[in-house]
Amino acid sequence: RHCSSASVNVIVALQHHCSSAPVNITVALRRFLYVVNLETPSEAPRKIGRPSKWDVGTVQWNPHRAESHVFAASSNQRVDLYTWRDGCGEVHASLQGHTRPDLSGYYLVTSSVDTYISGASQVKWNKRNQYLLASSHDGDVRIWDKRKPNTAVEYVAAHLSKIHGLDWHPDNEYILATSSQDNSVRFWDYRQPRKYLNILSCQVPVWKARYTPFSNGLVTVMVPQLRRENSLLLWSALDLNSPVHAFVGHDDVVLEFQWRPQKEASKEYQMVTLSRDQTLRIWRLDPQLQKLCANDLVEDPIEGISLTTESEKSLPSQDPEPTIHSCGLPAENLQDQAGALTSGGRHDSSALPQTLQQEFSLVNLQIRNVNVEMDAVNRSCVVSAVFGTNQVHLVVKFPSHYPNNAAPSFQFISPTTIPTAMRTKIQKILTDTSLQKVKRNQNCLEPCVRQLVSCLESYMTQEDGSAANPYVLSNPVTPALPAFPRVTNTYGSYQDANIPFPRTSGARFCGTGCLVYFTRPITMHRSVPPTEPTPRSLSALSAYHSGVLTPMKMRSESQSSLRLYSGSPTHTDKDHVSISSFYYKERKSRRFKTKREGADYGNRPVKLAGKIIIQEISCLLPVHKALGETYILNVNDIQDTCQKNAAAALVVGRRDVVWALASAATSLELSPDSDPDADAPWARHPFGRHLLETLLDHYSLMSDVQTLAMLCSVFRTQGCSQDYFSLYGHYTSSSVSSGSCYSTSDSTTTTTWSIGRDPEHVPPLGESSPDDYRYANQMYTDPREREREQHDMNKRLLDPANTMQFDDFKKCYGEILHRWGLKDKRAEVLKFTSCPPEPHKGIEFGVYCCHCRSQVRGTQCAVCKRFTFQCAICHVAVRGSSNFCLSCGHGGHTSHMMEWFRTQDECPTGCGCHCLLQSTF
Amino acid sequence: MVSVINTVDTSHEDMIHDAQMDYYGTRLATCSSDRSVKIFDVKNGGQILVADLRGHEGPVWQVAWAHPMYGNILASCSYDRKVIIWKEENGTWDKMYEYTGHDSSVNSVCWGPYDFGLILACGSSDGAISLVTCSGDQQWDIKKISNAHTIGCNAVSWAPSVVPGSLIDQPSGQKPNFIKRFVSGGCDNLVKLWKEEDGQWKEDQKLEAHSDWVRDVGWAPSIGLPTSTIASCSQDGRVFIWTCDDLSGNTWTAKLLHKFNDVVWHVSWSVTGNILAVSGGDNKVTLWKESADGQWACISDVNKGQGAVSSIADGATNEQ
Repeated sequence: RHCSSASVNVIVALQHHCSSAPVNITVALRRFLYVVNLETPSEAPRKIGRPSKWDVGTVQWNPHRAESHVFAASSNQRVDLYTWRDGCGEVHASLQGHTRPDLSGYYLVTSSVDTYISGASQVKWNKRNQYLLASSHDGDVRIWDKRKPNTAVEYVAAHLSKIHGLDWHPDNEYILATSSQDNSVRFWDYRQPRKYLNILSCQVPVWKARYTPFSNGLVTVMVPQLRRENSLLLWSALDLNSPVHAFVGHDDVVLEFQWRPQKEASKEYQMVTLSRDQTLRIWRLDPQLQKLCANDLVEDPIEGISLTTESEKSLPSQDPEPTIHSCGLPAENLQDQAGALTSGGRHDSSALPQTLQQEFSLVNLQIRNVNVEMDAVNRSCVVSAVFGTNQVHLVVKFPSHYPNNAAPSFQFISPTTIPTAMRTKIQKILTDTSLQKVKRNQNCLEPCVRQLVSCLESYMTQEDGSAANPYVLSNPVTPALPAFPRVTNTYGSYQDANIPFPRTSGARFCGTGCLVYFTRPITMHRSVPPTEPTPRSLSALSAYHSGVLTPMKMRSESQSSLRLYSGSPTHTDKDHVSISSFYYKERKSRRFKTKREGADYGNRPVKLAGKIIIQEISCLLPVHKALGETYILNVNDIQDTCQKNAAAALVVGRRDVVWALASAATSLELSPDSDPDADAPWARHPFGRHLLETLLDHYSLMSDVQTLAMLCSVFRTQGCSQDYFSLYGHYTSSSVSSGSCYSTSDSTTTTTWSIGRDPEHVPPLGESSPDDYRYANQMYTDPREREREQHDMNKRLLDPANTMQFDDFKKCYGEILHRWGLKDKRAEVLKFTSCPPEPHKGIEFGVYCCHCRSQVRGTQCAVCKRFTFQCAICHVAVRGSSNFCLSCGHGGHTSHMMEWFRTQDECPTGCGCHCLLQSTF
Repeated sequence: MVSVINTVDTSHEDMIHDAQMDYYGTRLATCSSDRSVKIFDVKNGGQILVADLRGHEGPVWQVAWAHPMYGNILASCSYDRKVIIWKEENGTWDKMYEYTGHDSSVNSVCWGPYDFGLILACGSSDGAISLVTCSGDQQWDIKKISNAHTIGCNAVSWAPSVVPGSLIDQPSGQKPNFIKRFVSGGCDNLVKLWKEEDGQWKEDQKLEAHSDWVRDVGWAPSIGLPTSTIASCSQDGRVFIWTCDDLSGNTWTAKLLHKFNDVVWHVSWSVTGNILAVSGGDNKVTLWKESADGQWACISDVNKGQGAVSSIADGATNEQ
């Protein structure tokens, strides 16, 4: 750990190749430069103070061997040259010449051209051509030649968003990679600035994309400001569908990375990465990993040089020695060769073998149902195509001069199933196609395969059309292969970077009074210390996949013991990486610890699933199941209800006197006078509605929906006429009976009647629901009625304006009662809601107009404008409340029907229907 | 007194990712990295394995019980990009429907309030949220909000159907027209509110306060009060309580409940909406309650609640 400074601007520069001398790395922070010797990373880094108040823009070691002890640091408009000798550094020169501060660049040389390229965010020297320089300006790249510095050689409109990183190909002087905010890395041949050679689409903005010094690799790191992903990805430039490897281990975002120059006689490359948490890591890229970057089958002609042994055999002209180089150091001896291998380069005879190789690697054969096996060594390939029942297998042999006016040969092999005539035809077409191409010295494999496919397709359709038996289904076509086969997703791999790290413990409230929680078993421990947060993404598990390297963690506090992070995969089953791997690790180390302490936990089998604990937490809730069971709602005797509920509350230990207050407020002495001219009703008294509102507010704060709903239910009945309830001896509010089959027709309350037990009163005799009030407001124009109406409102203790909210209390409490399994209690409470709890959906009553027989949904016929329905008793049109028999359909005014059926049980029309029996549900 | 009423040994072969009891609190469903979902009958402190549901091809992240009025129905979502809806018929559990419309891991499932019918919201790492509705007779209707959260959606939670104030102007007698709403949290560090308008899902509000992935969101159950409350927790260790006094006004105020030292994975509301259980990467559970003056306080240390948390805390101290 270098410094506790909060500076974000951190630059890393690696001292360039010195074969024997220790390699140093410089880390620049605002006030100090740090030099770390990578040979002895555990030593405390050397510190060089800086007098400047400006951040360091860039740091660069001199790439030339003789001067390799010199490094330059730029800040603002100045470049300081430092000499590094014997573990201490000093400024030995300062250069000033820039007129504007540059952000990045190789200052020692760019000073001569900075007038033209200032404003560039990235400047990189070509690694092959010492004159060439690329700079990025937002989304554009400009290529400069230092011999003609007044104008750019080429402009490349590379990206639509800002370019964060720029890197030249190590071996090909024309090719560069740009990484951008637009979530992509693009590869360019600057001679063809209009079209990128290839694109690597990432999900996230790419901060840096740099070529590996070996074969065809590329390392990307995402924009650190996003703070999403702490790992670096290694790609093979030959297959951009999926990364080859993820370097997982940093606990914070990676700001910068550099390749460490290769040591002599070492096959290994090392990468130094710096994370925002001020840790440096050194990653080793062993030959196995390097091999992953070089494609097994063919090599990319663009990249030119391969390290794989197979291709060395097949390509004798190629330099078998891997290119050893370090960034920015021109290796002129290799330059010619690289030039010779570039696509579109020379086509002399010596380059011909590569041309077939090139063609094989470049050819786009993502064609349905077609598979091409290419063998560059034997200069042949096998094209297999499956179309329905037919198979075609074709060997294509390429002569040594191909494509120099030498066409390949085509030969069908078994088990080709198409008829001979067709074979001859196809063979001719293919030969023609290939001849046309090779005449112009062009490749012909892809055009030939496409020709083959179109021939076969047309043949297939012919065959289908002339199928002898239309009833026989043709064999199902083989399922089409996905156009771009994706690598199967391995659990916890880099591809899971956007999948959240799974929960391994948690708690949930369930039912009404339970807390269910699951935790990790006590034997499972996090592999990271508790001070470090749990990873964000499932891709953190990729460290547990096989083939993981050993990242080192450098910490100044614990330098004596470098902690190895993940030596080998924890699971022997490589395919099965589980989330438990993340926790399992520490258990191991703990086992060591406990062994040391004398306890033996080691032999216990590992249990990965913890127990689930269900806890009763209802005491923390404001609602009580016991109260739900014992609370009663008897509207016949509110006083009694209140007293009993008060006793029940006392039993469970509730000491609030709410029920005593309720009892007092609902006492009969205070019951409102029906005459509006009498005294102001009790509701207007401070202990009336106001008291109740205060109580409701209080219990709302407590979230005590139980008390709220009970109070609302009790006081809901209070305003109603006591006579009404006592008269029928049945506690129900009128709204329930009317709600049971509510007609949607306006102003008609259509109800079925059932044996006089639950008769409907005619509004506005007793208050039923707020609906009635609304209608009342609309209907009554008589001032006396209005006054009465007003009085009805006033005498209620519950403010009718809030009826909806009171209903919500009851519904919510009803839901809790339901969870408790107290369905009867629930029904009792829900009766007091002003709206029907379940909107009526089933049968809807309508009438046919008694005059014109058209269907009517109101009291007045839309067609003949007459009243639709006649009372069977008085033969007057019914406009108000009515009842009918569901069986015979006869009926009339509710009051008349009630009167009739008190003594009779047959229909008053004389139709013979026993209405009372028939329409009883 | 808070007391442990049951301890269930699930015999899962790998780590458990969710455990949830049904509406009545009589059955427990668990899911695990071993790709299975298990259902236990936990009535009266017992534990009887009712079903071991196999069907997922990857770790199962979350389960959700539907309202019992639709039968015994359980939804589960997995890394294998599938959502499976299981149903008990004549005592045996079987697949009722399998939804495969996501391109990446499905991280969260949540059934809507029963008034809306059988409707399931699914949040996936492909950034989309799917709304799977049963339209009867095994017909399932899918609506997908693509790119609901860039990078991925981590959690979904429905608003209660009793949204106060929404009924005031309803003409009487008609079915109250509830607006379907839910909240989601994702890798874009945002909490988003969605509502259905004319059959289309629209983003209603975007709540910004977290500085890292939002891991869970929970819309508090309503008891009929005018205030709507949402809790959100994040990788950044913070838990926010969002409140809105008037949903039509749609102005939400955030209040930081607490900043934890590790990622917070889950928030859960008690049935009355006044206690919040918070759990996270540190293997601990804390309970939070709002006092009468609107302040949130940790009640885990309160005597009453000690049992609830101490046993978990024990495990945590052992760990260190």
